[in-house]
Amino acid sequence: MQLETVKFTSSEVAKYPFLKETTAHVQKIGLDVEDFNSPELTKILNRAEERVKAAILDVSVGDRSSDDVKIPDDVEIPSFPVAIIIALATKNSFIKKRYALAEAKQAHSHFQLESKQRLLAIARNFGWNIELNGASQPPSEFILNFADYLRNITHLRDEKWKLINRFLVNGKVYLNHHDVARLLQEEVQRRLEKRLDAKELPPFPRKIMDIAEQLNSLAKEKLGEVEMESFPKVVSQSAFPPCIVALHEAATKGRHLSHVGRFTLTSFLLAVGMPPEKVTEVFKTFSDYNARLTRYQVEHIAGEKGSGTHYTPPSCSTLQTHGVCVNSDGLCRRIRHPLAYYKQKTISAQPTAGRV
Amino acid sequence: MSSRDFVYEKFREFYSSSSFKIPAPVGFSQREFAFLLFKERIMARHKGFASPPLLGSFIRQHVPSDVYYSCAYYETPEAEMDKKGWVGADLVFDIDADHIPTRCNKIHDSWVCSNKSCGFGGKGITPEACPICGGVKFDVKSWPCDVCIDTTRAEVRKLVDMLENDFGFAASEIHTFFSGHRGFHVQIENESIRDLDAMGRREIIDYVSGTGLAVFQKKTRQPKQKTGVKIFKLSDYGWHRRLKNGIRRFLLNATKDDLKEIGVKSRIDVILQNRERILQRCLEENRWDAVKGVGFETWIKIAEHIREVEAAKIDTVVTSDIHRLIRAENTLHGKTGLLKIKFPVSQLDEFDPFSEAVAFKEGTAKVLVSDAPEFRLAGQTFGPFQNKSVELPTAAAILLICKGRAEVVT
Repeated sequence: MQLETVKFTSSEVAKYPFLKETTAHVQKIGLDVEDFNSPELTKILNRAEERVKAAILDVSVGDRSSDDVKIPDDVEIPSFPVAIIIALATKNSFIKKRYALAEAKQAHSHFQLESKQRLLAIARNFGWNIELNGASQPPSEFILNFADYLRNITHLRDEKWKLINRFLVNGKVYLNHHDVARLLQEEVQRRLEKRLDAKELPPFPRKIMDIAEQLNSLAKEKLGEVEMESFPKVVSQSAFPPCIVALHEAATKGRHLSHVGRFTLTSFLLAVGMPPEKVTEVFKTFSDYNARLTRYQVEHIAGEKGSGTHYTPPSCSTLQTHGVCVNSDGLCRRIRHPLAYYKQKTISAQPTAGRV
Repeated sequence: MSSRDFVYEKFREFYSSSSFKIPAPVGFSQREFAFLLFKERIMARHKGFASPPLLGSFIRQHVPSDVYYSCAYYETPEAEMDKKGWVGADLVFDIDADHIPTRCNKIHDSWVCSNKSCGFGGKGITPEACPICGGVKFDVKSWPCDVCIDTTRAEVRKLVDMLENDFGFAASEIHTFFSGHRGFHVQIENESIRDLDAMGRREIIDYVSGTGLAVFQKKTRQPKQKTGVKIFKLSDYGWHRRLKNGIRRFLLNATKDDLKEIGVKSRIDVILQNRERILQRCLEENRWDAVKGVGFETWIKIAEHIREVEAAKIDTVVTSDIHRLIRAENTLHGKTGLLKIKFPVSQLDEFDPFSEAVAFKEGTAKVLVSDAPEFRLAGQTFGPFQNKSVELPTAAAILLICKGRAEVVT
């Protein structure tokens, strides 16, 4: 497909600093993170700090105008890559997640106001296979390749996003302006999270480290005493979600369980704190029960054997796909993971006084 | 010579013949290969080959009962699982009679409780637990027959229709195979879907299997309009189109029993007498209250039935597994001695695995058959057999031995 090359103005790049063009702009300025003493670079650094700070405080990227003076593009644009460096330097997953979300939300508010043509240009900048809908039927403004669509609906919960509930014709999903803006927000967030997930980090200059440290204490304040809500010490069977009740009952009665079913039950029981020995016992009514093998498998899922990965149970949507989700109740509609169900039910059963 | 030695010897001859060739899948050197070894009965995994001839000599040397390769592409296919470096995977579908109830299950599939003191048995799909002793392990005897194949063929037809019309894959990108046993594989090597993760693939599974369809669910029910008419429009796209066409087909051909079977209880006669008018008013004018007393609940039942009918019954675990091992084309299936072979998707309706997938075309062997239904292979019909010693063409003898229904007589 022949794609026309679209030029983005520098004010657009300032608005959408994740576009490919940003690199060229930053190179033009010749940013050197080792030298933050020049007044120009101090401005950039301040704006970068502001971006991350605002993300922590209210999931925004701050205001571009300070004292009624609009920050010029050549400060605004490079402040984005510098903000990423700062977020990386915090090594704080809360800050990184929050910053990615803030940039994505900020972009989304602009996407909604863009013309069809500009939105198309931005989507194509991300490599999306997207076109304007030339026909009147089905009624929609955009048509997007289904693979690009699938990559960006992973975190969208509403059933309207499920592919099956979309008009899918000849590999294309039909979308309106709002849909595309929302999916682009996901794309921005996904890309940023990936950039912020860098494992090997270079040593950061002193100035950056200082800012990172301050932001870390700010995040701590914001979060307050992080409620690391763990599960109650005693496993409460009455708080099991319906799918687990069914699997547990099948297991204790020695009825056949699918592979997905066995894995779900095992990983769930381990996650809510049942010791591996006890979990192994659940399976002993099976006529093909092999104590040594079952113990090995249970310990493998617990992360004590094999790859060391600690497995968690699959999400509700995965269980639906594999036919493990049964008898869902009112609470099921409000959660999307069997552990969230358990957490909700055990928490509501606990006296609230003991919790801060 | 034991039966196993006999089969091994025949497999060895097949793989040594000059006509044997494995077509190389795309990205050959990035694939993991795995082999179920005859003698050791273990799976040799994590093998990688630089070129097809090297794979060929490995097979000739080791004579595996089954040959698999990964649907995934890896940086280092020979490394341990978490060090392989996953770079992508084909989109793979498995449709197998083992998972779909067929009307032939009762005829040729049987099970016997493995509990030695019990030994109870029966025909049809294996129960979850033995009705006598409650045991859950069984010796299962299944059989691949024309009805199994036609049942799975119908599912493949629905799947392919969705892949072509909804997902927009060209017929040339949709590779269809007989699995070598009781079903079909559908594989897509298209670059655009290669990097999709398990979550994205699950959306594809849900689409083809009709999971999570929101149309007609209570939630999407329209509030009564001013006129008291419920407005709901089924469009001509995606699953809407399938529902619309399905409802039309169903209602035009439905009998009283058909409606009863899907749970419609009242006013069946009225529905049947006014089928065409109902279809006109509902599907064209979107007036779902065309018949008094036939409410939304009835439409939900009908739509639910159509969803079941239109969905393709695939094995959901296979498609969502981005590391899945799949049988290699043109290799023998250890449970049948038949080949996994490719055929053009346009020939789905005519394709006959019981002649096309036959690998052993020469010679005969004498076998003692314990029990086998009548079956067809390479244009000949055999059986039924019950404790009978017979001389059969090699392919038929191997099928019976591999299915545990016969022993070789020396």
